[in-house]
This record gives sequence, C-alpha cells and structure tokens, in this order.
Amino acid sequence: MTQSYEVFLGCAIPSRFNNYESSMRVVAKELGIELIDFDGASCCGTVVLKSIDEHSWLSMSGRNLALAEQRGHDIVTPCNGCFGSLKDTAHVLHDKKQRKAVNKVLSSLGLEYTGKVKIRHFAEVLYDLKDEIAKKIVKPLDGLKVAFHPGCHLIRPSNVAGFDDPELPNKVDELLELTGAKSVPWGLKLKCCGSPLLIASEDVATEILREKMKSAKEAGANCVVTNCPACHTQFDVQAIGLKDENDESLELPALFITQILGAAMGLDSEQIGFELNRVSLDPINDILGL
Amino acid sequence: MTESWGQFKSFEGKKFKALDSEFTAKVSKLIGGEDLTACFQCAKCSAGCPVSDKVNIQIHEVMRMLVFGLKEVLQTDMVWLCTTCYTCQERCPQGIDITDILFGLKNMAYKRGITPSGYVTSAKALYDIGKLYSPTEWEREDLGLDDVPELDVSETKKMLDKTKLLKLQEGM
Ligand code: SF4
Ligand code: SF4
Repeated sequence: MTQSYEVFLGCAIPSRFNNYESSMRVVAKELGIELIDFDGASCCGTVVLKSIDEHSWLSMSGRNLALAEQRGHDIVTPCNGCFGSLKDTAHVLHDKKQRKAVNKVLSSLGLEYTGKVKIRHFAEVLYDLKDEIAKKIVKPLDGLKVAFHPGCHLIRPSNVAGFDDPELPNKVDELLELTGAKSVPWGLKLKCCGSPLLIASEDVATEILREKMKSAKEAGANCVVTNCPACHTQFDVQAIGLKDENDESLELPALFITQILGAAMGLDSEQIGFELNRVSLDPINDILGL
Repeated sequence: MTESWGQFKSFEGKKFKALDSEFTAKVSKLIGGEDLTACFQCAKCSAGCPVSDKVNIQIHEVMRMLVFGLKEVLQTDMVWLCTTCYTCQERCPQGIDITDILFGLKNMAYKRGITPSGYVTSAKALYDIGKLYSPTEWEREDLGLDDVPELDVSETKKMLDKTKLLKLQEGM
C-alpha cells in the first residue's frame, strides 16, 4: 500500500543539507512512499523558540500541525529537531487549557488544531519497510563500520518520541546493517552531540563533539551516520579540522542514513548528493563505489 | 570551567536570606513542573548529563535550588548550557520532567534579559522570516530539488504579535 505524507523539512535541511532531502526523496520514491510538499510551513519552533517562550513555540508549531490536519494528511520529517518539536507540541496540547490558548491564536488565521494529525520521523517509516529495503540491496557496503548517532529527540523523552528503546536503541542500526555495513558499539553513542549549544557556547559544543569523535574513533568506526541536520552540523561542519590533544585529526566521513541506504540500493549517486558532504569521503570511497 | 554563562559560579560563601516558597510554587506550575517537589536528590540526573563536567552548578543542584525557592537559579550556567537532551528526564526515578522545567526557567531568564545574545537574534529571525535560516538555492538547483514551499510571513507575524514574542523583554 502506498504511504503518503506531507514532508516537513524544517529550516536546517534546505539551508545546509540539501543532500539529505535529495537522498530522502530518491529512497522514498524507490520504496513507493509519496511525499507531498508542505505548503505554508514555517519553522517548527524547535528548542530555540521553546527556550524563548513556550506560548510562541506552541503557536508556531501548532500552526504547522493544524495546516496538515486541515488538508487531511499526516506528517513525516527527516529532522530530529522538527520531530521532537512537533511531537512535543502535540503532547503538550493534549492538555485542554493549553490547546484552548493555542487555538485562540490560531483562530485569527482561520485554523484549529484538534489532535488528529500523526507525526513520524522518516527513520520510523523506513523501519516499517525494512523487509522491502532488504530485498532492494544491490550494492552491499561491506567494510563500512558505522558509528550511528541516533541523536536525542528521536528517542527521548520516550513517552513523547515513542520510537525506540531510549537506553538501547537498535532500530536504525538494524536498518543500516541491512546494507552489509556494521553498526559498531561506541561508548558515547547516546550522548548528545552538543549541537543545540552552538547558539549559547560554541566552546562547550565543541568540547562535547571532541569527546564524541574520540569515542567513535576508538570504537574503530570509519564513518559517522546521523538522521538529523542539527546533529549533522556538528559532525560534517564543526568537526572539520578538529584535533585531539596529540594533534591527530578527529574527522570522520559523516553521512545521512538515507545516503547509506540509497547507495546500497544502487540509486542515482548524484541525487544521493555525496558531492555536498563536507568532510572528505576519501577513506570510504571504495566501499561506497565512488 | 567555562566563562560562557551565568553570574552564579558557586555556592561557596553564599548566604541566602529568604527561601521564597512563591517561586517554588510558580515553577511547579510550569509545563512539566507538577512533580518538582518530589526530588529526593539522588543526583541520577547529573550522573548522565552531558554537561555536568562543564558547568558550575549541576542539574541536581538546580533542582535543589528550585525546591528551596532560590531565584538565583536563573543566574546559573546550567540553565543555558542544558543541551535539551532529555537524558535526565528519561532517567529520573521520581518521574520529574526535568528538561521541561528547564525550558520554563529559560523562558523566565529570557524575559529578564539573562540569555545568550543568539537567542535574541533568533527571536528576531523567527519573527521576520518565520524561519531560522533561508534555503541555499544553488544547492537545490544542483540537486534538481523544487523550490521550498512558500510561507506567507504575514501569518506567522500575526501570531507572534499575539504572543508578543518581540516584547517579552520589555520592562526588564
Ligand atoms: S534524578 Fe530526579 S530525583 Fe534524582 S536528583 Fe535528579 S531530579 Fe531529583
Ligand atoms: S536535558 Fe539538560 S540537564 Fe538534562 S541531562 Fe540533558 S543537558 Fe543535562
């Protein structure tokens, strides 16, 4: 059965990681997932607006939910930040008082949020299709040792995210291993990447990133994989030139889950968008068939 | 260790004159605040917190300050150095929505002007363009992606006027 969703891209993907959108779209097409453009989408609000003012955040995010709801569609997003923000909004708006306050704001736009719309992360949608994906692997990625970084808001708080085990997540790893890649266990896998701190203190954000990269390297990974543009900013932008105390480089090729799946499914490499990955992919070129 | 945040560096030599029960009550009414006073100081929250070794005041100490009604908590570095990772909230044996409480504290601090400047800039961007960042057109063209769907900014502006986003810091 064809699944269909309005695709909520958020701000970071069209700005910094168009290769994530592009690889998501080719994978979706191959799997028969219909992605409808999200007309009128604003920022999801994300932890930034939630930190500034919760009422503004609930209204901004609630408007996006109400738009999709009015059109009778469910939402899929490839961003942990948007996923967390939209789901958290739906969670808070279970409360009648909060919902009334937000609907008062939305009514000035002729909108109402009722709580019907479903919000999913693209990783969840992919996980449901894992049997189909397994059948479509034509270019196995043997030798790829992935440090998979699930990020925070895909799995926590688990009563809101509702996707995977918050202490031992394994679903996306399972997907990645369908390609022949190995998802290596690494000590700091579940630790936040520090990306949200780029706005408050780049120093602290970088310190956290350094700890993460050391852990990934120690585990013998030859790449980092994420499912979020905010986390990816750390691994594929901030990590450039990062070194440990012995002046050894801490860079590792950073890929999106959809790039790994797309490559293993033999999809158009231009659309997978490897050209736009910033940290050099040279160490894994052969494995990726580039 | 960091110089990034907060006037409140340590408990050393600090004397607190009054414990303000009204402040505790106010925080309890925040989103997620209802179980605040159930905190029994096990410090499991701080044990898993990614910035525990990078702040002056750790998250379990923040929780104690809240129960004691110490408004000085808004000056601690923990408030803005919380990455919002939700590890503490996931693990708290008392089921306290710790991260959500911290969001409420950030809101309070923001109103008083105790905030990294990036948040003030972001509020302005969210108001002006309804987004944090604009699309990078040449990348989209290279990849053959369609334009990002249009947003009528007058709609989000209308909303954010109602919620007074740009007036939150007035009278601080
Ligand atoms: S984990 Fe919960 S109960 Fe324990 S100190 Fe932290 S807030 Fe208090
Ligand atoms: S949510 Fe904030 S306070 Fe809690 S563990 Fe994460 S960084 Fe620490």
